[in-house]
Amino acid sequence: MGTAGVLLLLAAWQVSVPLVGLGPYFYPAPTDVVGAFGDLIRKGILPVYLADSLERYLAGLATGAALGIAGGVLIGLNRRASLALSPLLKFLFAIVEVAWIPIFVVWFGYGPKTILLALVYVVFFPVLYNTLLGVRTAPQLLVNAVRSLGASSFQVLRLVILPSALPGIITGLRVGAGFAFRGLVFAEIIAAKTGIGYLIFEGTQSQQTARTIVGMIIMGLLWLGIDQFYLRPLERATIQRWGLTVDAEQRR
Amino acid sequence: MSPARREALVLGTLPFVAILGTWWLLPLLVAYPPYLLPSIGTVLDFARESLLDGSLLRNVLGSLARLAIGFVVGMALAVPLGIAMALNRHVAQLFRPVLSFLQAIAGIAWVPLTIVWFGIGNGSVVFVIANTIFFASLYNTVIGVQSIPQSLHRAVRSHGGHGLGLLTNLILPGALVQILLGVRTSMAYGWRALVAAEMIAGSSGLGYMTMEAVQWQRTEVIILGMIVIGLLWVVMDRTIFTAIERRTVGRWGLLQR
Repeated sequence: MGTAGVLLLLAAWQVSVPLVGLGPYFYPAPTDVVGAFGDLIRKGILPVYLADSLERYLAGLATGAALGIAGGVLIGLNRRASLALSPLLKFLFAIVEVAWIPIFVVWFGYGPKTILLALVYVVFFPVLYNTLLGVRTAPQLLVNAVRSLGASSFQVLRLVILPSALPGIITGLRVGAGFAFRGLVFAEIIAAKTGIGYLIFEGTQSQQTARTIVGMIIMGLLWLGIDQFYLRPLERATIQRWGLTVDAEQRR
Repeated sequence: MSPARREALVLGTLPFVAILGTWWLLPLLVAYPPYLLPSIGTVLDFARESLLDGSLLRNVLGSLARLAIGFVVGMALAVPLGIAMALNRHVAQLFRPVLSFLQAIAGIAWVPLTIVWFGIGNGSVVFVIANTIFFASLYNTVIGVQSIPQSLHRAVRSHGGHGLGLLTNLILPGALVQILLGVRTSMAYGWRALVAAEMIAGSSGLGYMTMEAVQWQRTEVIILGMIVIGLLWVVMDRTIFTAIERRTVGRWGLLQR
């Protein structure tokens, strides 16, 4: 049934091309797109672009998450630090990562640094903020209990605080991963010479709109893959297992 | 004001003061070309200048208008289709894979294509926002309708409710909370899409203003734009979205805190 929907869409698209009749620059046909796909594979462009985009995405995600978790735990352990930094963190997260790209371009030029920074930025804040909340809401009763059994500070962290912060960390990671994926495509449009975002942008610039659509399709498949094979398993293994499902608002 | 709130306020202001202080002191301590980081004075001068000639207000209002139009168009399409998908299994099965695929590419990736279709300007920007809002709201509508208890369906039907009456008395109000709650997330994506689309395909607005400034290396324009973008989001979040949450979820006792 779902396959029928996809086929129906493709058929409607192919049939509508002669009816619209504005040429492949304005409205390419599915067959043009398949042709462009073959061309991009034969010339070895697509595999390279895909690898570059994935590398940037994973590097940004990993760096942002690592910094966010570390920062969240450090700040969260201190009540005054949490109070002091929360408003600033909220404000910095409100300056969305796309708004930072112009100034990153002034500081670091068009290139990989700008892209990586934008991705780290957009992952860092949701992870940091949710980790902070998780650490702050770790049950004091358990902390006291473990402490009275002779646990060291490190053991308290490992046995009580990190586990109770974990659902928050995963929620933050999921939110950040979604924003970062769009952020990656945008950053590549602005500041890259390779990658899926660049392919989408360069296609129309060079009057090869079919290439743009190949890029968009690859982007969609890439996100569905990341969601299916990485984010959902991660969520199942952590949040759902402990009975703390993310609400629909954050799920997307 | 309670002592706890006063403490939070005082502590919360400190990092902002520290940042402003560092920004003020930095040019006195280290030498660097001013275009990398203009002084606070330069940014304030530009703020006053752009407030007085009305250009800042024009850009802000232009951006907000495009966001509002894109939001209305996106919601007007998403809610009916979402209800249809939730009520009819066949519609849902037919559309689901196509829609979840299109959702994955919603937003900024459409900009190059919309430039071909609509040219640089409002058309492209509004299309991208509407597209973003549509896909972000669709699933919330579906989930909202599906979360209406079966017993309520039966109750309305056994009292003779059908067709339009069923829609206005049961389905729309039942799904409303979930739809409204989803607005915050959709707008978070919509806001990013707006700024990004204006940077590539805009001819005015906050995004256009900051990206345009890059080629002239007018960093004070970029910094002012960033501050305004941050402040606007904080204000929207505080006034609109928090109010929605209080009025709906808080009132109907669904808020889990």
